[in-house]
Amino acid sequence: MSNLNRRDFLKVLGVTSTSTVVACDPPASPVTRTLTPIENVLPYVVQPEQIVPGLPTWFATQCNECDKACGVLARNREGRVVKLEGNPDHPVNSGSLCAQGLAGIQATYSPDRFAAPQGAASWEEAIAKVAGAVKGKKVAWLGKHRTGSLAALVGQLMDATGGTAVMWEPLGEHGLQAATKAVFGIDGVPRFDPTGSHTIVSFGYELLGSQGTPAQYKAWADTRDPKQGGFVSRTVSVGARVGSTAAVADAHLAAAPGTETDVAMALAKLVAAKRGYSGPAAALLAGVDPAAVASAAGLTVERLEEVAGWIAAHPSTIVPGGPATSASATALATAVLVLNEVAGNVGKSLTFEGAPNTAGFGTWADAKALLDDCAAGKVDVLFVDGLDPVFSMPADAGVADALGKVGLVVHFADEPNDSITSEALVLPPGSTLESWGDAEAHAGVHTLQQAAMNPLHSTRPVGDVILAVAKAAGLVTAPEVAEEVEQAVAAEGEEAAPAALARPGLDSPHYLAYLKGWWQAVVWDKAGRPGDFQTFWTDSLQRGGFWTEAPAPEASFQLTSAPAASPEIGGSGDKTLLVWPHPFLGDGRHANRPWAQEVPEPLSSNTWGTWVEVNSKTAESMGVKRDDTVKLTTAAGSLECGVFINPSIREDTVALVLGNGKKSGGRYASYGANAMGVLGLSVDEGGAFRFVGTKASLSKVEGAPAKNKSIRYLGSLTNEDRGVNYVVSLEDYNDPEAAHGAHGIIAMHHPPVDQRLIDRGLHDMYPEPNHPTYRFAMAVDLNRCTGCGACSTACFSENNIPVVGPDEVRKSRHMGWLRLGRYWQGDSEFPDVRFQPNMCQQCSHAPCEGVCPVLATYHNLDGLNAMIYNRCVGTRYCANNCPYSSRRFNYHSYKWPESFNLMLNPEVVTREMGVMEKCTFCVQRIREVKDVYRDNRYNGSGGPTVAPDAALKKLTACAQACPADAITFGNANDPEAEVSKLFEDKRTYKMLGELNTKPGVRYLARINHVPSMLHHGGGDHGGDHGDGGHGGGGEHGDAKHDSKDASGHDGGATHDGDAAH
Amino acid sequence: MNQVTYGKVTRDILRPLFKTSAAYFAILGLCAAGVGLLGFCWYVQLTQGLGVAGYAPPVFWGVYITTFVFWIGIGHAGTLISAILFLFRSKWRTGVYRASEAMTIFAVMTAGLFPALHVGRAWNAYWLFPYPNQRELWQNFKSPLMWDVFAVSTYFSVSTIFFYIGLIPDIAAVRDKTSGLINKVYGAMALGWRGTDRQWRHYMAAYGFFAAFCTPLVLSVHSVVSWDFAMAQTMGWHSTLFPPYFVAGAIFSGCAMVITLLMPLTLIFKWDDYINVWHFESLAKMCLLTGGILTYAYGCEYFIAWYSDNPYEWGIFHFRAVGEDYAWVFYMMVFCNCLAPLIWWFKKMRTNYTVLFIVSIIINIGMWFERYNIIASSLAHQFDPNAWTYYAPTWVEIGILIGSFGWFGLWFTLFIRVMPAVAIAEIKELVRPPLKKDEVAA
Repeated sequence: MSNLNRRDFLKVLGVTSTSTVVACDPPASPVTRTLTPIENVLPYVVQPEQIVPGLPTWFATQCNECDKACGVLARNREGRVVKLEGNPDHPVNSGSLCAQGLAGIQATYSPDRFAAPQGAASWEEAIAKVAGAVKGKKVAWLGKHRTGSLAALVGQLMDATGGTAVMWEPLGEHGLQAATKAVFGIDGVPRFDPTGSHTIVSFGYELLGSQGTPAQYKAWADTRDPKQGGFVSRTVSVGARVGSTAAVADAHLAAAPGTETDVAMALAKLVAAKRGYSGPAAALLAGVDPAAVASAAGLTVERLEEVAGWIAAHPSTIVPGGPATSASATALATAVLVLNEVAGNVGKSLTFEGAPNTAGFGTWADAKALLDDCAAGKVDVLFVDGLDPVFSMPADAGVADALGKVGLVVHFADEPNDSITSEALVLPPGSTLESWGDAEAHAGVHTLQQAAMNPLHSTRPVGDVILAVAKAAGLVTAPEVAEEVEQAVAAEGEEAAPAALARPGLDSPHYLAYLKGWWQAVVWDKAGRPGDFQTFWTDSLQRGGFWTEAPAPEASFQLTSAPAASPEIGGSGDKTLLVWPHPFLGDGRHANRPWAQEVPEPLSSNTWGTWVEVNSKTAESMGVKRDDTVKLTTAAGSLECGVFINPSIREDTVALVLGNGKKSGGRYASYGANAMGVLGLSVDEGGAFRFVGTKASLSKVEGAPAKNKSIRYLGSLTNEDRGVNYVVSLEDYNDPEAAHGAHGIIAMHHPPVDQRLIDRGLHDMYPEPNHPTYRFAMAVDLNRCTGCGACSTACFSENNIPVVGPDEVRKSRHMGWLRLGRYWQGDSEFPDVRFQPNMCQQCSHAPCEGVCPVLATYHNLDGLNAMIYNRCVGTRYCANNCPYSSRRFNYHSYKWPESFNLMLNPEVVTREMGVMEKCTFCVQRIREVKDVYRDNRYNGSGGPTVAPDAALKKLTACAQACPADAITFGNANDPEAEVSKLFEDKRTYKMLGELNTKPGVRYLARINHVPSMLHHGGGDHGGDHGDGGHGGGGEHGDAKHDSKDASGHDGGATHDGDAAH
Repeated sequence: MNQVTYGKVTRDILRPLFKTSAAYFAILGLCAAGVGLLGFCWYVQLTQGLGVAGYAPPVFWGVYITTFVFWIGIGHAGTLISAILFLFRSKWRTGVYRASEAMTIFAVMTAGLFPALHVGRAWNAYWLFPYPNQRELWQNFKSPLMWDVFAVSTYFSVSTIFFYIGLIPDIAAVRDKTSGLINKVYGAMALGWRGTDRQWRHYMAAYGFFAAFCTPLVLSVHSVVSWDFAMAQTMGWHSTLFPPYFVAGAIFSGCAMVITLLMPLTLIFKWDDYINVWHFESLAKMCLLTGGILTYAYGCEYFIAWYSDNPYEWGIFHFRAVGEDYAWVFYMMVFCNCLAPLIWWFKKMRTNYTVLFIVSIIINIGMWFERYNIIASSLAHQFDPNAWTYYAPTWVEIGILIGSFGWFGLWFTLFIRVMPAVAIAEIKELVRPPLKKDEVAA
C-alpha cells in the first residue's frame, strides 16, 4: 500500500462507501424501530418559479371544515402545504383558527384518501357514466351546506336536470332558522355579537365551542378583560349538561332537560318587568309563571330573578340552544329570541349584519323528504356531496335502504364513509388545499379558496365534475343574466348591461373559469366594480377574499303566539338522553383526522372513542368508575361506550357524545360507537332534529372490548386544592389595596417564596442566568381562555408531534407538548371549570436541566430551556424532575403513515425512539424572526436588530392559533413588551411559584364573580355560589392585615415585630 | 470445633470444586435460562422501544430503577461484613464473608445491567462516561446520575480488588490440590502465594488497608444512589433523610440475602462446622438493628411530611398509604420490612433455620417493594393533579426482573464451583492448632 497516493485513496474510499450505502438500503420492516433513517434526497432538476428552498410561500385560502368558511393562510414549503394559520384580515376568524380548522390539513394528507374514482376505471368513464345517467332522469342532490359560486353551479345543474338539491348540515341551526322566520319574518339566522355585553347567556349554544366563530370567542374574551371595557362580563349557562360555554360560565342553571324553553320565557317575563318592557312581546308573556317554571326546572325563582337582574341592568348577549341541546330546538330558539327582544338586544348583540348565510339551507325534514323520495324510487341519480347520511341519521330513517333504491349514487368524497357502497360511484373532489372555490358563509363576506398546492391524487373538484357532466350530457345552458342586470336593462336599455356581468353558466370550460366569472358578475359588482376585474381578482386572492357590509334586513318582532310547549320525552329508562357533538369531530366528518381524535376533548379530556357523561352520584350508585364501560339502552337501540363522570351534569340526564363510531370511515374513525344508533328519527315543528328526545337506561358492562372504553388523558378531575391554578374574585381585583402586593393578588395570599429569604438573598443557590438580548416568555390569560383546544392542535401541526394512537394514550403516553389542563372544581349545582394550557414553563432555574447527566437539556441565552435530541440518552430523569410534568418521551419510533409524512414541518426534526422532547416555545419560529432582525446589523437597512414586540407577540404556534387571544408571547427583557406588562398585572401568578423555578410562562388568573377572596378558602372557590366556609376566613384576614403592615414597614421586621408582641 | 483439623477444613471447603452433581447443573441451567429470558426481553425492548415496558408518563422510572436500587442494596452486606466487621474484629464474619463478598460483586454486576436496560437509547449509554472524545461531549457533573456512575463503578472496582485479595491464600490452596492446566490457571491467579511470613505480613497490611478503604464506600455508594431521589424535586423523594435511610435499608436487605444464600450452601455442603446458627443469628441481629432504623425512617418520613404542612408532600404520603393504586405496595413493604423481622426478637425464632430462611426471603421481597413504592407512587402523583396516572409493569419488565436473578444466580453458582466459598485461611486461624501427642496428653 506504500505506493497508494492520496488521489487513489480517495477513489477507493468513494467506491467502497458508495457500495456500502447501496447495500444498506433498509428492508421495509413492520417493526417500529429506525435507528438510522436512510432517505433519498433529490434536488430539483428544474427549480419551479416562486419556490425558494427553505422559505415558505403563504397562500390565502379558506377553511372548509365547517360551513363558516374562515380565512386561512396555508404555509407551503417546497410544494407542500405544511401548516394552516388563520388569515389575520379575515372578519370571521381574524388570524386565528379553531382546532377543527387546524386539523383540516390532515384531510389533504390522509392515508385513507381515494387516489382515483371508485366504481369507474377512469375519470372519463366516470363522467360518461354520470352523464349517461342524468340525461332525462330524475336527479337529486344531497350535500353539505355550500355557498358562493358552487352553490350557484349546483343550482344551475338542478335547473338543467329538473332535480332538487338539499343542502343539509346535520348540526345546522335549523331551530334558530325556523324561529327567526317566525319571530322576525326573516329567512336566515342572526349573528350574535358579544362585544360590549355585560352578561352572556347561553341556553346550550356553544358560542365558545363548536358553534361559535373565532371572532365570537375573541369578542367574548374582550368582554372578560377589564382592560378592554372596564368591566368583566358574566357568563350564564342554562342546561342539563356543562358544555364548553357552560364550563367558562360564572353561573350555571342546571335546568331539567325539556324545560329550557320555559326558563327562557320565565326570564323574559322577569326581564320585561325589570326593564318595564311593553313592546309586542309583552302579550306573549302574560301566561308565564316564573315560580312554576323554576320549580319544574329544578331551579329557584330567586336565581332566575338574579339572572334577569343582570340581563336587565346592562347590555347582554343571549344565545339559544345548540342543535343538540334541547327537546325542541325551534321552540327554545323562539323563546330565546323573545327574551332577546325583551332585553333590548335586537339590532345590538343580535344582529343580521354579517349574519350567517343560510340560503338554500335545508332542514332535517327536507333531507328526510328527499330520502323518502329515494326510498320510493323517485330518484334515479343522487349526488351526495361531502355527507355521510347513513352515519348522520338514526337507523329508523332507513337511509341505507333509501340509497339502495337509487339507480346511481354519486359520492363526492375524498375518504371512505358509511354511506358509500360498492355499487356507488365515488368521485374524489380533492381537498380544500388542492382546489379552487369560494364561499359566502356570512352576508357580505366572500372568501376565496385558492389552490395552495398541486393535487396529491387523481382528483377533480366538484365544480369541474358538474361542468364536465353537463357538457357530456348536453345540459349546457347559456350564461345566466343576473336579475339586477335584467332590471337595469328593462329600465335603461341594453347599454346598462355590460357583458362582463353575465353570470357564468354550465358552458364554462372549467370550474376556475366559472369561479372567476361568478366573482366578476357578483362579487366585483357588489364591490362597486372598482378598477378592472383582473386587479380586483388578484387583490382578492392576496387578501383571501372580499368583504363588505351587506345590507341587513330590518328585524321587527312579529311573533303572535308563544313557543310550542316542550314535547314529552318518551321512551323507557330513568335518564334523559342528551346527544351532543364532539367539538373536534363535529357530526363525524372529521373523525378520520388523527389530531381531532388524539387532542383530548377539553372538558372530559377523553380521546379516541365515545363516552357518556354521567353524574358522579349516578356513577357511584352504579359502581361505575372512570375506565369502565357502560351499556346505554333506549327504545331505538343500545350501544356500549366509556364514561365521563363529573359532578355537574344533572342526575336525571346522561349526555352521549356524537362523532365517533364509523363503520368504514377510515383507519382513525373506527373507535367508539355511533350515538345516532340510540336515537329515533323525530323532528320538531321547525324541521330540526330532536337530539333530546328519548329516555335511556344505563348498565355497567364487564369485560367490554378495549375499543369501547373511552381514554381519558388527564389524571385528576380537580386541582386537589393545589397551587397549580388560581382564580381571583372581581371584588379583590377591583380592590385598590389588593394591588399593593408586589407580585399580585395571588402572590400576596399564597407567597411563593418567603420574603425574608428574598430580602437576605437566601432564596437562590445559583445566580440568575444571563439573558443578554432576549428572555422569551409567555403570558396566558386564563380569563380569556375558553378551553377550545386550538393551541394543542396547532402545536401538533407546527412541531411534528406524533399521534400515538389509543393504546398508547391509554398508558398516558400522549405526545402533545401542550397539555390543556382542566380543573373541575365545585359541586354539582355550581361547577367551576378552569382551563390552563400547560406547556414547558421554560424555567430560569429549571429542575430538569441540573439532573441530565449528559447535558442534553440546558438553559440558553434567550431564556429557553433548550433540548438537544441528538445528545439525549434517555435517562428520563429530567421528566421525573419536572414539577409541571411537561416533558414527553418517545417510547417508540412513532411513524407517520404514507402521505402524512408529507405534512411534516421541514423546520422541525422528528424524534427517534428513546429521546426526550418537550415544548421549545417554537424555537424554529423564534429563530426565523431573530435572524431577520439580526440581519439588519449587516444589510445596511438600519432597521432594528432586536425583534420588536409586534413580531413576537403571536409568534408561537399556540399564541398564533388562540382564537381568544389568551396567549401572548414576547421578550421579557423589553419592559415595553406586552408580555412584560402582563407579567406586572396584579392577577399574574406563576404555576407552583413556591418551587422558585422562575418560569418563563406566567398565568393571569381567571376573574370570577365570587365574593372576595378574603371570605374564601384561597384558590378553592366554587363558581358563583358564594360557598365560603372553608375555615380560611380568619387566616386570609390575617394575611391581609400583615400585608397592610408590611406596606408601612420593612417586611421582615414587621413579622419579627409581630412575633415579639 | 474439636474434630476439625486443617486438612478437614481444606477438604470440606474445596469439596464443591472437585465433586459435582446433576442438581448443580440443573441449577446452573435454570440460571442460564433466566439470563436467556433477560436477553430475550431486552431484545424485544431494544427493537420496539421502551414502550414495551409499562411506563405511564409522568412515571418515567419503574421496575428497572427499582431493581437497580434493589441489587445495589443487596451489594451492601458483603463489603460491610468483610470490611467493617473485619476492622471490628468480629469473629462471626469469618465463615460468611467470602460468600457475602461474592454476592456483593455479583449483585453490583447485576445492578450494573440496569442503567443500560433503563435508558431510552441503550446504544448510547456509554455517553454517561466522561472520556475525551471528538464530539466534544462532556458530562454534567451536577447530575446525581453522574455521581451514581462514579459511586457504583468505584464501589465495584474496590470491592472486586478487596475480594480478590482475600481470595489469594485460598486460590493457592486450590492450586495445591490441582494439577495440569487448571493448576497453571490457579497458580497464575495465586500470584505466587507461598504462605511465607513475609507474604503474610504484607498481605495482612494490604488487607487491612483495603478494609479501611472499603468502609466509607459502603456508606457512600448507597448514599449517592439515594441522592438520585433525594436531589430531585419530586415529592416523596426530596428528603434529606434518604442517605441514612437507604444505607440502613441496603444493609438490611444485604444481610437478609446473605442468610437466603448461605443457608442452602451450609446445608448442602454440610458446612455447619464453619457456617452455623451462630452466624445466622448474628446476621438476624444485624437485620433487627437495620430494620429498626428503617422502620424509624418510615415513621420519620410520615412525620416530616405531616409536620412540613406541604400539601404536595403530604399528598404523596397520604396517597401511598390510603390511595387506591399503591396502598397494597405500601402495606406489603410495611409488613415485610417492619413487622415480619420482629419475630427475630425471640431467640427461638432467630435460631430456627426455617424461620430464618422464610423471613429473610420476606425481607428481600419487602425491600424490592420499598423501592417500588418510592419510585412508582411518587411519580404517579406529581405536583399537577392533571398529570396523575397509574403505572404497572408489563411482562417485559417482569421478565427482566426474573432474568436479573438468573444472571446473579449464574455468576454465584459458577463461583461456588470454581472458588472456595468459605475463607479457608481465615477458618484455619480459628481452628485449634494441631498438637503433638504429648501436648494432648498434657
